[in-house]
Amino acid sequence: MTIPCSNLDDLLLDGTPQSMQLAAQHAAGCPACAETLESWNDISATAGSMRTTWTSDLLWPRIERRLVEDRRSRLSGQARLPVLHSVRRVAAAMLLTVGLGGTMWYALREQAHEAAFDRRIIQSSALDEVEKAENAHVAAIAKLEGLAETRLEETETPLMVSYKEKLMLLDDAIAECEAAVDRNRQNAHLRKQLLAMYSDKQQTLEDVLREDTHVSTP
Amino acid sequence: MLQAAITGTFPGIATNTDDRRLAAACAAGDTKVFEEIYRRFGDRMKSVAWNHLGNVSDAEDAVQETFLKIHRSASTYTGEASFSTWIFRILVNTCFDALRKRKRRVDEAPIEEEVETAERTAPSVDDAKRITLRKLLDELTEQRRAVFTLFEIEGLSHAEIGEILGISEGNSKWILFATKKELQEKWKRTKP
Repeated sequence: MTIPCSNLDDLLLDGTPQSMQLAAQHAAGCPACAETLESWNDISATAGSMRTTWTSDLLWPRIERRLVEDRRSRLSGQARLPVLHSVRRVAAAMLLTVGLGGTMWYALREQAHEAAFDRRIIQSSALDEVEKAENAHVAAIAKLEGLAETRLEETETPLMVSYKEKLMLLDDAIAECEAAVDRNRQNAHLRKQLLAMYSDKQQTLEDVLREDTHVSTP
Repeated sequence: MLQAAITGTFPGIATNTDDRRLAAACAAGDTKVFEEIYRRFGDRMKSVAWNHLGNVSDAEDAVQETFLKIHRSASTYTGEASFSTWIFRILVNTCFDALRKRKRRVDEAPIEEEVETAERTAPSVDDAKRITLRKLLDELTEQRRAVFTLFEIEGLSHAEIGEILGISEGNSKWILFATKKELQEKWKRTKP
């Protein structure tokens, strides 16, 4: 059986005794392949001699000692596990407590915020009502002032002069109180005072008109 | 029973059932079983480690480390490969780790240590050739060196090498061929 040189690698790759025998047969008549096969076999032969043994009386005792130590450390590690479990349980309990406490604190805080918000809404509603009353007074006063203006300017009776002075004093006081209310609209005392002043002025203007009616009536 | 399992031929030293019992005994830390494994495979383990690491001290450290790893991970042995194949897989990986650590130690000079007490199976082969081949093996990649060592030096089959290195039988065959081609080129240049 003739083997071409190009097939030598296939035989070496296969590496079975039969393939190596065919390669040797081919190499017998082919100097180039013979050189290749020689170095190939030389490497294998050299490698085959490299299996090494030596006496080491201390190696097994050393391994045995390390195995015993390793086993002991593993067992002691397992013995520590219950302690570790206890520590973990305590840590978990603490974590849970902190978590629950935090949640409760947050809930109470939210509740407080809601209550404050409700208070603000109630306060705001009361304020609206006060402002409505003030506006009603202001509208009524404006209407009365329009009716009483001519009478106050034309009539010079002592009573009318007295009404004029009173109205001037009330206007000054109202202006001062309105300025104070603008600075602090939540101040219930000031709003109460202002309402009282509006009421007083409205009453005074009504008195002026009534007085004028009395005067005009024969 | 367990001792009987260990006395088989490498690597199929036992049936799957016996291998699992062997692994269980190792996981339990049965020193007698470890001693039997050492008695059965110690020499071969030392040889594989020595042919990877090149000196007795590192080789013995690798064998010791392998026994500790067997003890620690025997409970994870699934029985897919034979127990002996599993042991040699751990050994080869331990040798790879040692080689990587050595590479990281930049200042460490390559150790040239011959085993004075070694008993060679073929004392007629020229020592110069062995020294040359050992130097050439040092230049190989981990995988090529492992395949060459396990096949040409330790005499394992490609099927066994495939199981140890986690590659196919055909791949092992191809890697050996490519490795020998690489060695042959350098071998011709050095002419030992």
